[in-house]
Amino acid sequence: MWLSLPFLSAVGVLGLLGIGLLGLLVTRNLIKVVVGLQVLVKGALLALVLAGRLSGQVQTGQAITLTVIVADTIVSVVALALAVQVRRQFGTLDLRALSTLRR
Amino acid sequence: MPTIETLALLSILLPWAGALALVCLQDRKPALQHATAVVFALAGAVAAVAMIPQRTETNIVSFPLGAAFGAVTFLPDGLAVFLAVVAAVIGSLAVIFSVDYMKGEKQLGRYYAYVLFFIGSMVGLVLSSNLLLIFVFWEITALCSYALISFYNDDPKAVAAGIKALIITQVGGIGLLAGALFLYVYQGSYDVPTFLAGAAKLPADVLALMAFGFLVAAAAKSAQFPFQTWLPDAMEAPTPVSALIHAATMVNAGVYLLARFYPAFEAVPHWRMAVVAVGAVTALMAAVMAIVSNDLKRVLAYSTVSQLGYMVYAIGAGGVFASQFHLLSHAVFKALLFLSAGAVIHAAHTRDMREMGGLGRQMPLVRNVMVIGGLALAGIPILNGFWSKELVLEAGHEGGPLWAWLVMLVGAGLTALYTFRFLQMVFWGEARGGAHVHDAGPAMKVALVPLALGTLTTWLLAGDFWHFLGKALPGGHEAESTGALLVKIATAPATFVALAVVAAGLGAWWQRARLAALAGALRGVGTMASNSFGFEAINRGVVRATVESAEALRVTHSGVLNWNILAILAGLVVILAILALGGA
Repeated sequence: MWLSLPFLSAVGVLGLLGIGLLGLLVTRNLIKVVVGLQVLVKGALLALVLAGRLSGQVQTGQAITLTVIVADTIVSVVALALAVQVRRQFGTLDLRALSTLRR
Repeated sequence: MPTIETLALLSILLPWAGALALVCLQDRKPALQHATAVVFALAGAVAAVAMIPQRTETNIVSFPLGAAFGAVTFLPDGLAVFLAVVAAVIGSLAVIFSVDYMKGEKQLGRYYAYVLFFIGSMVGLVLSSNLLLIFVFWEITALCSYALISFYNDDPKAVAAGIKALIITQVGGIGLLAGALFLYVYQGSYDVPTFLAGAAKLPADVLALMAFGFLVAAAAKSAQFPFQTWLPDAMEAPTPVSALIHAATMVNAGVYLLARFYPAFEAVPHWRMAVVAVGAVTALMAAVMAIVSNDLKRVLAYSTVSQLGYMVYAIGAGGVFASQFHLLSHAVFKALLFLSAGAVIHAAHTRDMREMGGLGRQMPLVRNVMVIGGLALAGIPILNGFWSKELVLEAGHEGGPLWAWLVMLVGAGLTALYTFRFLQMVFWGEARGGAHVHDAGPAMKVALVPLALGTLTTWLLAGDFWHFLGKALPGGHEAESTGALLVKIATAPATFVALAVVAAGLGAWWQRARLAALAGALRGVGTMASNSFGFEAINRGVVRATVESAEALRVTHSGVLNWNILAILAGLVVILAILALGGA
């Protein structure tokens, strides 16, 4: 019975989270960071639905998931708009070049 | 007649409403700003004074805030109403004084808004009986003091002084917050009266932690050893603000905290001794520093630190009434001294006493009221400072160790010495400054004269004051009548000893030329005192260590996303590992 739906969902959650984090870990391109963040959030959404299913509160899980989808969409839109502005202002999307914290 | 519930809220909210109005008013009509500030400050003072006949011993005015925060409760008993009246009345006198002092200054709105916010928060702090709420008000007063000390924000010294005051009082805030959280954990609520009634129910070690946490909080707020350095620096503020901080609001909060919680911590081992030691060390050290300072406002600042030491010492020795009585006297005569010093500085355009001298003839009214205030500070009969200081010394003689009492006696002599020194340097002798000076303006006089009258007369209220504080005082002593109390002070042997010491201090100033040899021998002490006994060096060391460690840690803040993600993942792994191991 290891091929059950919850098990597959859990694998999906871990996979999405892993891919998203890996993306954030290795990329320096601002656009790719946004993409990585999206993948990461999708993993979190799947986890929310799964948690609702496992705890028997299916509707709560789904309601929160929908809310997060809306918020997440706004976040990614703003992030991409910022990326466009950053490219116009600084001429680069390389995070390392953009950082001003280093000496 | 409004009920006490309404009055308690009004005395907090009226100054706050004034602050809000001043923020909205913009900086276009100075006359309107002055008027608004005075009206709201006076209205708050009237509300506070109207609470006097209606004080109660039970919690009132309660808004439930949900489980975690408890309820917003106020306890307007004698102690709370007394301090609220001091804050509101002396605060509004400082506001009236500002009308002349701040004339023509820019950004009056910011100035008055913070002053009124400050007064309202102080009233809230003393009236609250919810420890979390006390903490909130406590921090608001810290914020306001920061903003007002740094009022001249184009002067780097003023900004540095404000940040110093903020940081040092935050250290104390941590002590108070820790105490509040402990109380919540072990009592299940932040309610102060419940705590005071049943402090013994808490585990002894927790009670001790709270007691010393509160001592740290009070020491930081009231500029006691070893946190005394912020108060003299706070002199960069406009002078009415100094009067406000020193006499009406900020520094009284620490003494109030100790007095309020004295019944709960009385039995904690070593706590009273620690309080006595803090008070005695502070009183002596600050008095020595006042002797060598040449800045008029710094001398007064050190004298405040020293007199606060007397109050703290009295609480440690069990004389809570004596400390509150001295607080009353001190609030009146120190407000008088600061405001008249403000008038002097306003006229002479300098704070350096070496550039003053001979001002007495040109500003007779200021000279007269400042001499009254100075005599009260020195503890000369029959001014209010004499009675309350003798009461403090008597309480210390009864309940404190002998060495501390002797230290306080020496401090009293030094107080007389530095008081006569600064009065002489400012008002008599040859005129050393070239500026043409003028006497105080009308609004300044309106503020100075009532304070001078108060300095001459508040001691007559001793018995009534005791009766008024009533059940708010620990120990359950029967209130004594004014007459009995005064006779008791006047006939106590300690009084004569203290008077002799004060006279010796006065005589030392009189004969200072002949004591030159002695002064030479003590020059080393004077140099140390000018350097604030090394505390500034400690402060600088702490600042440097903080900055350097931050620089050293800079490599960890690369600002590169990949490294941050790696750190987050590493943290996650650590937490998971802890959970996995701890759950087993």
